[in-house]
Amino acid sequence: MEPTNRFFANGSAVILSGGKSSRMGSAKALLRFDGEPLILHLARKLDALFSNLVVVAAPGQDLPPLPGTLVRDEVAYQGPVGGIYYGLRAAAGEVAFVTSCDVPFLQAELVAHLVSLIEDYDVVAPYWQERFQPLCAVYRTSVATLLGQQLARGELRPIYLYDKVRTRKVGEEEVRQFDPDGLSFFNMNSPADYELAQQRWRERQKFETEIETKNGRPRSISVSVPLSITVELFGVPRLLTKTKEISLSLSEPATLSDVFGALAERLPVLSGRVIDAEKKILSSGYACNVNGLSFVRNPGATVSSGDRIFIVSADAGG
Amino acid sequence: MHGFHGRLLHIDLTRRESSWRDLEPSRLRAYLGGIGLGASLLYEWAPPGVEPFSPDNPLIFASAPLVGTGLTTTAKFAVVTKSPLTGFIADSLSSSRFALELKRIGVDALVVTGGASSLVYIFVKDGKVEIRDAERFRGQSAGATEAGVREELNSPEARIAAIGLAGENRVRFATISNEGRHAGRGGVGAVMGAKNLKAIALVGEHDVSCADPGGVEAVAESLRRRSLGPLTEKYRSIGTVANLSVFNRLGALPTRNFRQSTFSGAEAVSGETLTENHFSRRHGCASCTILCERLFKSAGGEEQRLEYETLFALGPLCGVEDAETVLGAARLCDEYGLDTISAGGTLAWAMECAEKGLLPEDKNIALRFGDAGALLAALPAIARRQGVGSLLAEGSRRAALEIGGKSAYWAMHVKGLEMPGYEPRSLKTMALGLAVSPRGACHNRSGAYEADFSGAVDRLSADSSRGGLVAESEDFAAVMDSLIVCKFLRKCFTDFYSEAGDLLGKVTGWDYTAAELKRAGERIHTMKKLFNIREGWRSEDDWLPERVLVEALPSGVAEGIALTPGELGQMIHGYYRARGWDEAGYVPEQKLIDLGISQNR
Repeated sequence: MEPTNRFFANGSAVILSGGKSSRMGSAKALLRFDGEPLILHLARKLDALFSNLVVVAAPGQDLPPLPGTLVRDEVAYQGPVGGIYYGLRAAAGEVAFVTSCDVPFLQAELVAHLVSLIEDYDVVAPYWQERFQPLCAVYRTSVATLLGQQLARGELRPIYLYDKVRTRKVGEEEVRQFDPDGLSFFNMNSPADYELAQQRWRERQKFETEIETKNGRPRSISVSVPLSITVELFGVPRLLTKTKEISLSLSEPATLSDVFGALAERLPVLSGRVIDAEKKILSSGYACNVNGLSFVRNPGATVSSGDRIFIVSADAGG
Repeated sequence: MHGFHGRLLHIDLTRRESSWRDLEPSRLRAYLGGIGLGASLLYEWAPPGVEPFSPDNPLIFASAPLVGTGLTTTAKFAVVTKSPLTGFIADSLSSSRFALELKRIGVDALVVTGGASSLVYIFVKDGKVEIRDAERFRGQSAGATEAGVREELNSPEARIAAIGLAGENRVRFATISNEGRHAGRGGVGAVMGAKNLKAIALVGEHDVSCADPGGVEAVAESLRRRSLGPLTEKYRSIGTVANLSVFNRLGALPTRNFRQSTFSGAEAVSGETLTENHFSRRHGCASCTILCERLFKSAGGEEQRLEYETLFALGPLCGVEDAETVLGAARLCDEYGLDTISAGGTLAWAMECAEKGLLPEDKNIALRFGDAGALLAALPAIARRQGVGSLLAEGSRRAALEIGGKSAYWAMHVKGLEMPGYEPRSLKTMALGLAVSPRGACHNRSGAYEADFSGAVDRLSADSSRGGLVAESEDFAAVMDSLIVCKFLRKCFTDFYSEAGDLLGKVTGWDYTAAELKRAGERIHTMKKLFNIREGWRSEDDWLPERVLVEALPSGVAEGIALTPGELGQMIHGYYRARGWDEAGYVPEQKLIDLGISQNR
C-alpha cells in the first residue's frame, strides 16, 4: 500500500532519444533544464508512473546515467518507426507509452488517459493540430512484429501501422480535457524552441512553488496522477455482476472508499447490496483484501497504482 | 424449571435397561447444554482410560436450553463420546428435527452405554423405551434406515438418527446421520456401531416452557430479521462452497495433501461455478431462516448436498478438479456415513503414499492424485473395509503407523483427526487453533481463522499474542455450541455475551449475566481439556503435522511462507499463558477452583 506512483502495473514507458538533432545543433536529449539534462527529468517522471522504463538511443550516443533499460537502435536514424520498434521489443508487459526525449511539458493526466483507453485497442494516439502524434501514444507491445515488417519494407511512417491495427484516435477536444493547451506535444527543434521552453519551464516552476506556499504543503505532487486499480470479485458480487475482475482508473491520491465508489458506478448492481454507494463503504457482509495479503478495514486507507483489491464475504466460516 | 427438563435418559444396551435420572440445576447452569453438558457428562460417565469401542464408552446425545424455543438456527444437538480416532473427546454437532424430538421426549440428554449382542435400534415414545431388532436394516444407508424404521413403527412423526455401513463396520471416521445431516467429526458413528446400535427413533410429547415467552418471541423475531441481512448473505446466496475461490486466491486452500495452498483446478470446482452450472435448490435445518445448505445437481440428475469442507476434501485435497466427481464422492460419503473431511484427508494421504510406493497394493484401486475413478472406488471399499479400504478405515494416523516408513510425515492430522480446509501456514492464528483444539484438527470448536480473515492480525506471521485470540474464540464457540446457536448467526449479534445472557435469562428465568456466560465458555472448554488430560493428553499432542513445519508454501500470494516449529511453539506458549495454564499446558488446581469445577468435576 506504499504509494509508488506507478499507474500501470505491468506497463512500460519508452523514451526515444536517438533522433537526429540537426536543426538544434546539439543533442536534444542533453539540453539542460534546472541544471540537468531534459531526458533525466523525463525519465524520472515516467519511471515514477510506470513499472518499466526503456530508453532507446542511437548507436554510440552519449547519455547521462538514467533509470530503466537502455537499448540501441540496431540501424541508426530509421525515423520514429525504428525507435518505436526497438523500444517495444525491449518493453516489459503488454503495453507501452512511447514518447520522444524533447518534450519538457508532458502531462501525466493525458498519459494516464491514453493508457486507460488501450484495453480494446492496439494503438491509442492523440490527433492534435490535424495530425497524429505517434511519439505521444500508447502501443501494444505485440505490434512490434508489424513494425519490424514495415521497417523491412521501408515504410517509415507510423501511420501505415495505424491503418492495419485497432487504432483509437484521441481528438483535440478529448485531449484538451487532460492537457488544455496541448503542452505535451511541445517539442524542440531549434534553439529558439529551446529558449521558449526554458522560459515556460521557469514560469511553471514559479507557479507550482506559489501553489505550494499557498497550501503550506511540501511539493511532491504538482499534478494529479491517475491510478490504475484492479478489483477482483468473489462469491455474491461475482455472480451478481458476472464479472471476475475489473480495472478502474482513479485520481491520486485515492482511498479504498474511492475504489468502492468507482466500482459502484461501473457495476451499479453492487450498489445497495455489496457497496453502500452513498457512504462509499462495503456493506457489513463484505470485506476487502489488498493484493491477497492484508485485509483492510479502514475505507480511508490509500491505495496505490497496480493494487489488486479483492471483494470477498466478511465471513470465512465453512 | 424453564428451558430444561432437568433429567436425562440412560439406556444400557447390554442389560437392555433404561432409567430416567435427575440432572442437577447447578450443572445445567454451569454447563448449559449441547457440547458443555455433553463434556460434563462424558467426564462423569466414561470410566478413565476406557477404550472407545468398549461397551463402557458412553455415547451421549445432549440437548440444550434454546432447543425448542423456535429461535432461528437452534434445532441442534450434540453427540459426545470418547473418539476412536483421537482417544480424546469427540464432540460433534448436528441439526434436524431429531434435535427437536430429543428434547420433546422430556430429557436434556440421552446417554447410551453397553452394547447389544445383535444389531438393534432404540425407540422412545410416551416415556417408554424399546430396544428393537435392526438386523433387517444391516448394511443400509442411514437414509434408508430412517425410512424403514419409520415404516416399521408406523410412526410418521418419529425422528430418527442412524448410522450407515461405515458405522456398522467401525470405520473410525463414521458419522451419525439424521435427515441427511451428520454429526460428522471424530467417529461418533463408529462408537454407535460398536454398540450394535443402528438407529434411535424418538417420538416426544413434552414441550419445554420458557420463563418469559413474550420476551423470547421478541428476541426470536429480531434474530430472524438479522439472520436475513447482509451478514449472512454468503450462506444464503451461495452457501459455504463460496470459500473455495477466495481461499485459493489467498493461498489458503489445502491442495494435494497440503503440498500446496493453491489449486490449478479451483475454477472448475469453485462455489461460483457450481452455482452457475449445478445449482438445484436451497435447503435448511429445522427452525433455520438462513438455509445455507445447497443441493447441486449432477449430470445424472441426482441432487447432492455440498459444503465447503466436503468440496475441499474430496476436490483440491485429492487433486480432483471435476465437479461431477466431487458430487459423486460426496454422495457416497453420505450414503455410507463417512466424515468427508477425514475421508478426503485419509485418501489424500494414501494418494501421496501410493506415489512414493509405500501403500500396499490393491488390485482394484490404484490411488493417484486427481484420479476420479480410484477416489470413487475407494470410498465404498473403506465403508466395507475391503482391500486397501480396511487400512484407510483406520484414519490417516493409524494407517501410517501400520505401513510405517516415512508415511507418517504425510499424515495430515492433529491428535488423529484429519485437517480441515484452512491452510495453517498462511493462516497463522488458525494454525494455533488447529494445534491446541481438544478434539484435534478442528475448524468448529474455535473460529481462530476469523482473526486471520479480518485484518485484526497479519495472517502470514506468527506471534505470541495469538494465544489470547484463540482462547477467546474457543470460549465463544463453547457457549454457542452449548446454548445451542448456529455459528453462521454469530456475526448477527452486536454484543454476543450480553444478548445471549439476556436471552438465556428469558428462557430459563435465571439471572444470567454476560460475565457468567463468558466464564461458562471457559469452564466448558476447560472440561474438555480435563477429559483429555485424564485420558493421557501430553504436551506433544498440541502440535501440527510435520509437513507444515518443514515445507514452505510453493505457490500463490503466500508463496515462500512457512511456519517454523519455533513460531508454533511461541504461539502455543502464548496460548497456555492466556488460558492461565502451566507452561506444559496442564490446568492448575487454582484455575479449577476459580471456574467452580469441583473435585468430582
